[in-house]
Amino acid sequence: MKGNETYPMLSSILEILKMLTESGAEIYRVEESAVRIFEAYGAKNVDVYATTSNIIVSLEVEDNVIKTHTRRVCKISSDIEMIHRLNGLIRKITTETPDLETIKAEIGAIKNTPKYPDIVNILFYGVIAGAFYFFFGGRDWIEFLLSTCIGLVTGVLSKVTTDLNVNKFFVKFLCSVSACMLTFTLLKSGVIMHDKFIITANIMTLIPGIGLTNSLRDLFVGDSISGVLRFIEAALLAVAIASGYIVTTIIFGGAA
Amino acid sequence: MDYTDMLIQVATSFFGTLGFGFLFNIRGWKLAFAALGGMLSWGLFLALGFFVDSEPLRYFIVAVCSTVYSEILARALKTPASTFSIISLIPLVPGGALYDATTMALARDTEFLNSFIHTVELSVALSLGIVIVTAVSKHIFKPIHRG
Repeated sequence: MKGNETYPMLSSILEILKMLTESGAEIYRVEESAVRIFEAYGAKNVDVYATTSNIIVSLEVEDNVIKTHTRRVCKISSDIEMIHRLNGLIRKITTETPDLETIKAEIGAIKNTPKYPDIVNILFYGVIAGAFYFFFGGRDWIEFLLSTCIGLVTGVLSKVTTDLNVNKFFVKFLCSVSACMLTFTLLKSGVIMHDKFIITANIMTLIPGIGLTNSLRDLFVGDSISGVLRFIEAALLAVAIASGYIVTTIIFGGAA
Repeated sequence: MDYTDMLIQVATSFFGTLGFGFLFNIRGWKLAFAALGGMLSWGLFLALGFFVDSEPLRYFIVAVCSTVYSEILARALKTPASTFSIISLIPLVPGGALYDATTMALARDTEFLNSFIHTVELSVALSLGIVIVTAVSKHIFKPIHRG
């Protein structure tokens, strides 16, 4: 890697790192990948600093020639298939060191990683709510069906509000409020006997699982700043979910 | 808890974790292994109940085994370990305990502190299990080398 070709290359690699972060990968994975890629291309000194919102790479390509590039990361989701494919591409880059055109083509292909259609995702909100209804100890088929339906409503609400770019904490809060309100309404009207199983099952669909697990991996194996950032975010999401339940309970006049 | 309840829990933990696999866009065989991991984790948790009384200790052991399972599969299928570790620990998220604590707090029941501490204990045990295995396996398989 020399002179003029460094910047386009640096930009493409940073695009990979940005996509990796946006799909919800651990930050230590992002930093390590960057170091391995640039060392494979023969950069002398590689300095990478990544957080959940920013990536900075600085390289010494020849004596006294230093190139730096930065990318801002705005939105983090959980797309494990995307992480899997990016991981494969990074492995390929470090072993084969392909040219820029090949890398660009591969990035283009990965951007088209298939996703499950929205209807499938919404359906599985229902499946999760139904499965965890039995898991937590509910044994009534009508309550099971209602729990599944409330899960479907949560799925639709989550999808619509996320598409409208509503703040993610507020999305969780709204979903929690809607699920609890529906359950309490059913309870007060005498359709169901227990609210506990339906509410816990529906709250399961909202838990920030990926954020919490990755924050732990980052905290103890990689970079503590990213770990702490992620952990706080996951904790705040959990607080948002709990607040939804608390607010609804108060509206309905104390714990039923 | 009788055997029917246990069977129901093991079966439903498979479908619950499978659902999360879809939400996180896991595809192909990885999806099956992730959901299987969820089922095995909960099965192990229930089986340990016959030998170990302490719930946090059981959580810790399950977290260790489940993370080992994830790390092995990750190497076999050439994919990040988090694919399996996130999904397969979902049945162990102490949602029920947290719900109890919140409900008690709302009812001004001072017992909620005990319930809350129990939730924290479980979470810490779970985290400790994940962290120890991740750190050790990273040390064995991929030593950090920085220029």
